[in-house]
Amino acid sequence: MGTIDRLLTRRLLAAYIAVILVIMYIPMVIVGLASISKSRFFLFPMKRTSSKWYEMTWDSLQVHESFLTSLTIAVCVALISVILAFFGALAYARYDWRGRKLFQQVLLIPIFFPQAVLGLALQLWFNSIGIQMSWQSTVFAQLVWIVPIVTLVIAIQAYGYDSAVEEAAYDLGASRWQIFRTITLPLLGPGIFAGFLFAVLLSWGNFPLAYFTSGADVTVPEWLYGKMIGGYTPMVPAVGLITVVLGGIILAVGLTINGMLQRRD
Amino acid sequence: MAAAPPILQLRNIVKSFGSLNAVDGVSLDIVEGELFTIVGPSGSGKTTLIRMLVGMDKPTAGDILLRGKRINDVPANKRPTCMVFQSLALFPHMSVGENVEYSAKCKGIGKKERRERAAECLKLSHLPQSYYDKPVTQCSGGERQRVALARALAFNPEILFFDEPLSAIDYRLRKTLEKELKDIQRETGKTFVYITHSLEEAMVMSDRIGVMREGKLSQVGSPATIYTQPENRFVTEFMGEVNSLPVQLADDGRLHCEKLDASFEPPAEMPPGFSRGVLIVRPENVAISDDPEPAAGGNLIRGELFNEYLLGSRIQYQVRSGAMVFLIEELRADAVARIPGAEVTLSWQPGDSMVFPE
Repeated sequence: MGTIDRLLTRRLLAAYIAVILVIMYIPMVIVGLASISKSRFFLFPMKRTSSKWYEMTWDSLQVHESFLTSLTIAVCVALISVILAFFGALAYARYDWRGRKLFQQVLLIPIFFPQAVLGLALQLWFNSIGIQMSWQSTVFAQLVWIVPIVTLVIAIQAYGYDSAVEEAAYDLGASRWQIFRTITLPLLGPGIFAGFLFAVLLSWGNFPLAYFTSGADVTVPEWLYGKMIGGYTPMVPAVGLITVVLGGIILAVGLTINGMLQRRD
Repeated sequence: MAAAPPILQLRNIVKSFGSLNAVDGVSLDIVEGELFTIVGPSGSGKTTLIRMLVGMDKPTAGDILLRGKRINDVPANKRPTCMVFQSLALFPHMSVGENVEYSAKCKGIGKKERRERAAECLKLSHLPQSYYDKPVTQCSGGERQRVALARALAFNPEILFFDEPLSAIDYRLRKTLEKELKDIQRETGKTFVYITHSLEEAMVMSDRIGVMREGKLSQVGSPATIYTQPENRFVTEFMGEVNSLPVQLADDGRLHCEKLDASFEPPAEMPPGFSRGVLIVRPENVAISDDPEPAAGGNLIRGELFNEYLLGSRIQYQVRSGAMVFLIEELRADAVARIPGAEVTLSWQPGDSMVFPE
């Protein structure tokens, strides 16, 4: 009785997991199929396949530019947010100071704000103070949303180690700078790295904030959106798939590096 | 010992948090080369006190003098003292060797010299040299204690402080480490200042003990003095389980206990001006007997035996008498078989009891 039950449970569990995976990944498969359809519009079942949309994507100046813009924004956002979030996380998790509770709550608000509303608010604000919008203003807009997330990621790491180690280093004669360099930074390292990765991926895939604040510059999600509403070609799913694959590669490389760092410890 | 000069002097140290004085006027001289233990229940201010002594916190009032020089405002990283933390605070991303060499590296001492010093300290704290490259995260609890000690010794501090580092260690290992610590202290001749809530730990290791209560030092003295001549009720009761009887001085000079409706002969030495307070007798000073008139005499009280515990070499009895429960201990070797529920007579010599005013 018991073994049959267990077998049944295991099969049901496997089926359940399979259903979840199918639901999660079927859209990706369809995007993949759509990008190799020979005809301009996606019909199922597909009659003939072609790689011409990938060739056109490769040759497109617009696509090149949007990739470059997205990448520039992502790297800038990740670098700035990691620096801000590092100190923010120390204030969040490490030091007791007046107003810390308030800071912890205020920090979370931008995450819960609908991004379209946040984007609109930033656009109105940029306009009213007379800032010419471009990819730089998008960097700022994305920072508003991403810095809190990266702060939380690093704060979790900061909570994860005994704060007495810094005091012990101080007691053993280390200067503030030596403590920072030899204790705090290495111990927060994995969190900083994870936060950086998070920031790159969130920025890379972000549409609403870029849509409202990038002015004439076009990011990859914006290019996709533009093509969707005016002039669809299978280049859209092709670019989409390339974006996903690039994101996956960044994640995989990141996780491998992280794994290697942790094994060394 | 008294001839040795004090290495550390505390002059009326106060530390306030808001309106609360966590440390409330502590004055103390610590002698060079001794192992001094500050013992007290949790919340007695001992950790607050030690944090000021190592320089993590500043006293609100009072002075700390190291070899006669005021060091109140010298930060921890500029003091020639060092502490072993309660959590040990080993650097988890470093090897045993890197942990031990940390202070030397901060000072900019060369690799070869660092390594030699580390080897010496590993040996002192009974760690094999092969542990040099072992990550601290792979060390057992006892090994981590030794690494923390080696790291502190490598700093070569004038005074080494300990903030209850052994509290999380199991009993048997703790006993071993306590003795080793005492040996290391003797071997290096360094001044150790140790903090613990366990009087047993303090008794085993210390040259002198300071008992702390509510931010104040209740009594300072050698373990033997603290045990045999406690100065107040708190120290007496903190020493271990005792029988405390609320008493008042009757007209006939005897001590009357209302709860038992009995009176007892007082010890020869009574606090001056005593009228009411507490009579304390240690369990090992109470004799238990089936005989209603024991030959030894002294203060007598009848009661009913209702519990018996075996504590290794000793046996503890609980005897109910009126509204009170007495604790009695005797050596197991001397004990006779007793039946729970039996009527027994308890007796003690007046000279073995202590009286403290309320």
